[in-house]
Amino acid sequence: MQASTLHQLNKKKITLSETELIHALRQKDKIGAEALYDMYSSSLYGVIYRIVQHEEIAEDLLQETFVKIWNSFHSFDSAKGRLFTWMVNLARNLSIDKIRSKDFRNNSKNQDIENTVNFIDEQKSTAINPDILGVKDLVDKLKPDQKSILDLVYFRGFTHVEAAEELGIPLGTVKTRLRMAIITLRKFFN
Amino acid sequence: MEDIQSYIESGILELYVMGDLSPEEKLKVEQMAVQHPEIRTEIASIESGLEHYASAYAVSPSANLRERVLNQLEKSETVTNLNTTTVTSINSAKSNTFYKYAFAASVALLLLSTIALFVLYTRLQESNQQLAILETNNQQFSNRVNFMIDQLDQTQQTLNILRSPEVKLIKLAGTKQAPQASMMVAFNPVKEEVMIDMSAMKMPENDTTHQYQLWAMVDGKPVDLGVFDMKTDDSGMKKMKTVTNAQAFAVTLEPRGGSVNPTMDQMMVIGSI
Repeated sequence: MQASTLHQLNKKKITLSETELIHALRQKDKIGAEALYDMYSSSLYGVIYRIVQHEEIAEDLLQETFVKIWNSFHSFDSAKGRLFTWMVNLARNLSIDKIRSKDFRNNSKNQDIENTVNFIDEQKSTAINPDILGVKDLVDKLKPDQKSILDLVYFRGFTHVEAAEELGIPLGTVKTRLRMAIITLRKFFN
Repeated sequence: MEDIQSYIESGILELYVMGDLSPEEKLKVEQMAVQHPEIRTEIASIESGLEHYASAYAVSPSANLRERVLNQLEKSETVTNLNTTTVTSINSAKSNTFYKYAFAASVALLLLSTIALFVLYTRLQESNQQLAILETNNQQFSNRVNFMIDQLDQTQQTLNILRSPEVKLIKLAGTKQAPQASMMVAFNPVKEEVMIDMSAMKMPENDTTHQYQLWAMVDGKPVDLGVFDMKTDDSGMKKMKTVTNAQAFAVTLEPRGGSVNPTMDQMMVIGSI
């Protein structure tokens, strides 16, 4: 646990390898909780915020997500996929449940859906992770129809069936476009 | 291999990673992934791409949230521990003392109830006794009242008869047979009523085989006016048979039920108008 000593000395964010982190989370180690938060809070919060578009609600949901990760970690199977995939799907499910709940719909004074992405990008541009460069480049690389379907499914919680209805395109097209979008991402980040 | 490639290209793996499959479809993808390494590689690649995409849009939550979340995680851990161990023992201890108190309370309540029941029972018996006494008294009283009403009634009747101007009172005096005997006869010639005053009667008591018989002398012939018994507790006026024109009344002692003709040697009293 070199990282923890480092953390205590420098008050720096803790980073563990995924294997180390999984081990620590299984042991319910305090380091595991800290590393979990430091490594993933921004990414998860970005997704949650994008879905609910409300800071306070997004922070509550992030907390709820971490509690759920922490308490139901035994159900994570590392053989079936990456830790982040499991966590982000928990976060997305909680967020989507939230925006579909009655009290949220009653209270929401959200922007028009179409403006969502730009709105967030403008508002939170300073908070965008500086380690990852070229968000703009990425957005440029993705074709508009690929980006819209990806954001609809990934950030707005549409199922591919709902997305097909929303965009008025066949299911097969939805799947292909999603695949093409993700292939673009893979190429871009490799 | 062709099949695997088209399976990959169908886009189902992307949906799998984004959690957009039914449990059955999900299970099938997982089975395929176990059998085919190229599917596993593809899935990992998709996951990596999406993870990077999410990081690209990462937003830092407010700084104080870290402390809040970490505290919450610590708390939820202790809560989990509590759930499994302490809570059960607290519960059982609590319920033990609860049952102790409940038992003590029940016993006390039972005792109190028994005492109260006993006291109430005693009082009930007392009340019942008093009620019985009162009822007896009441019965005696009403008997007395009834008796007095009867007497008053008879007296009133007697008085009415005696007061009536039409009524003649004839005193029958004892003969040699019963020198001490005497009785009163009230005769109303207008209403043709004959009554004897039982309370003022002084006659020897008759036995069960004999009865007194009252006779009226009408133009020298005896006319039967009915029989009666001499009893000391009799009172009031006794109505006899009717007669219109009587000059005298007499009483003879006859066999029970009376005779057609008077037994003259058994005449007890006689009186003329």
